[in-house]
Amino acid sequence: MDNGFVQVGIRPVSLPVEEKRRKEGKRPIVSVIVLGGIILGCVCCGLFTRGDPGRMDLYQAGQAPDIRHWFGTDTMGRDLFTMIWYGGRISLFIGVCATVVSTLIAVFYGTAGALGPKWADALLTRFMEIFLCVPGLLLVVLVQALLGKANVLSLSFVIGITGWTGIARVVRTQVSQIRSCEYVIASRCMGAGFFRILRRHLAPNFVSSILFMVIMNIRGAILYESTLSFMGLGLPLDVISWGSMLSLAGNNLIYGSWWTVLIPGAFLVATLLCITNIGSYLQKNGDPRQRNL
Amino acid sequence: MKIKIFNREICVCALLATNSICAKSSAEMGKTVRGRIWLYYGRKIFNFLVSMLFLSVAVFFVARLAPGDPLRSYYGDRVEKMSPEERERAEERLGLKEPVLTQYIRWLEHALQGDFGISYKYKRNVSEVIGARLGNTLMLGGISLALILILAPGLGIWCAWHEDKWQDRLVCRAGTVLSCIPEFWLSLVLVFIFAVSLRWLPGSGACSPGREDDISDRIQHLILPLAVAVTNHLWYYAYMIRNRILEEARAEYVLLARSKGLSKRTVFFRHCLRNVLPVYLGLMAISVPHILGGTYIVEMVFSYPGIGTLAYESVQYQDYNMLMLLSMFSGILVMTCSAISRTINAWIDPGMKNTENVLDGR
Repeated sequence: MDNGFVQVGIRPVSLPVEEKRRKEGKRPIVSVIVLGGIILGCVCCGLFTRGDPGRMDLYQAGQAPDIRHWFGTDTMGRDLFTMIWYGGRISLFIGVCATVVSTLIAVFYGTAGALGPKWADALLTRFMEIFLCVPGLLLVVLVQALLGKANVLSLSFVIGITGWTGIARVVRTQVSQIRSCEYVIASRCMGAGFFRILRRHLAPNFVSSILFMVIMNIRGAILYESTLSFMGLGLPLDVISWGSMLSLAGNNLIYGSWWTVLIPGAFLVATLLCITNIGSYLQKNGDPRQRNL
Repeated sequence: MKIKIFNREICVCALLATNSICAKSSAEMGKTVRGRIWLYYGRKIFNFLVSMLFLSVAVFFVARLAPGDPLRSYYGDRVEKMSPEERERAEERLGLKEPVLTQYIRWLEHALQGDFGISYKYKRNVSEVIGARLGNTLMLGGISLALILILAPGLGIWCAWHEDKWQDRLVCRAGTVLSCIPEFWLSLVLVFIFAVSLRWLPGSGACSPGREDDISDRIQHLILPLAVAVTNHLWYYAYMIRNRILEEARAEYVLLARSKGLSKRTVFFRHCLRNVLPVYLGLMAISVPHILGGTYIVEMVFSYPGIGTLAYESVQYQDYNMLMLLSMFSGILVMTCSAISRTINAWIDPGMKNTENVLDGR
């Protein structure tokens, strides 16, 4: 207000709710579009790619990107453009599958801890503490060995059972806050079982607070899959995923084929980034309690 | 506003009153309280020991359940040429023939006397092998930890000071992108740029062969792994600190201090940051196992001879004794650090301590 007066008294508060909301509620449109594009491309990759992604053409091995091979070829002569989409299919699938596994475990574990008797809760908490101390690598190798040869489903299961602790803790806290609400007690008095209470009363309450974690879990699972495949503990090299593509590229780094490292990596990073953006948007706007500022 | 302050004063008065009452009553029962505190710590230590015992049982049995041939790590490829009798004798010599429970009890007996057995792969005492490599990991992990603990609050404070200005937005954007880059991929790209293309820095190992004592050579080998380890964790902590400061800046005492005429700078640095400091301390305690544990991928990609590579090898080659000691190490580290951070939190917010006491005591 530049009218020559010095304003005294109440400080002009720059907190128009509308403006604040607009700022926070800026939808991650770019992220949604990019992620949508990647998912769509991966799902219908058969429509616009030529041939089998695993087809090796040793005469064309190690070619830089050109008209024929948009993203170049790897050292085994496979077309990277085709591989990216088919590999993304598997990477995304593992991400979603693993998250479903961990979320299910976490919800049951957390609810059981909060609703069960006190000794059970103490036991479950203690178990979770010990579980966090067991080296993740050991667990992955063991479960993988017990399930037999690594394939997409077994790997998602393995990743799922190593990544549930964070969500379980949040569910436990939330449920132990609402377990003694009247409606839960009433429902229990009327003879509702564990699953009914969980579905009708508890789940709607904690969904918003774990939504962000679940989405971040998808991100974590995709990341973990690629890391494991890169270290040679995940998918075998002939199952194409972003991780196994990068693993092969890492071994052949010395030949100077930058495109085998940069392009799958760029896809991976773009996907993770979009998921993060969408996740933090949901975190900001999903929980009504955070909106009072 | 006035009413709020008034309310607040009443609250403070009430709090003080209850506190003094509590103090009186506790002075009367001083002895029992002290006894209870000892009981509290005793229970904590007991819990810790029991957890460690369970951890060792779990790792021991899980490792032996996993299919794989520990003889392979001891004899290498010679295993395939061994006759069944030789195999049997070798297994007997390593004590692998007995039932798993007997093996575990024997391991526990020896471990309690400080003898953790020999590593199958290196044929030396496990503690010796680890000791030889511990320095490397501590150097990598320690420096990256120190860098993160210095840079993260700096970055967080800077962002919070410029909240919602272009500086903050830029750093937030860049930080989000950086935190999304997988560790191994960043390592690959850096190796590709600096080691393969430009040939400025070495791409693997902890030192060039034959130059073990050359410090500048070691530093050169450390640069790339350090860069990866720091960029990967930095934003996570900086963002947490930034958000904590922003939360603090929304508190009512800030408005009061401002309306008393204190400058933004004074309120920010004298009041807000002071209140965030304990949170930072708690965060520090948790970050130790997180960052140290996070270096193993970096160590692997750069084939840096440290604990991480050792752990990976021991899992892959069924080097049982090595695996046990390393798991115990990580277990102790994780539990101690989380206990420390819990203590700090309780110290900040005695209310939390009470609830925890209730939780533990039931």
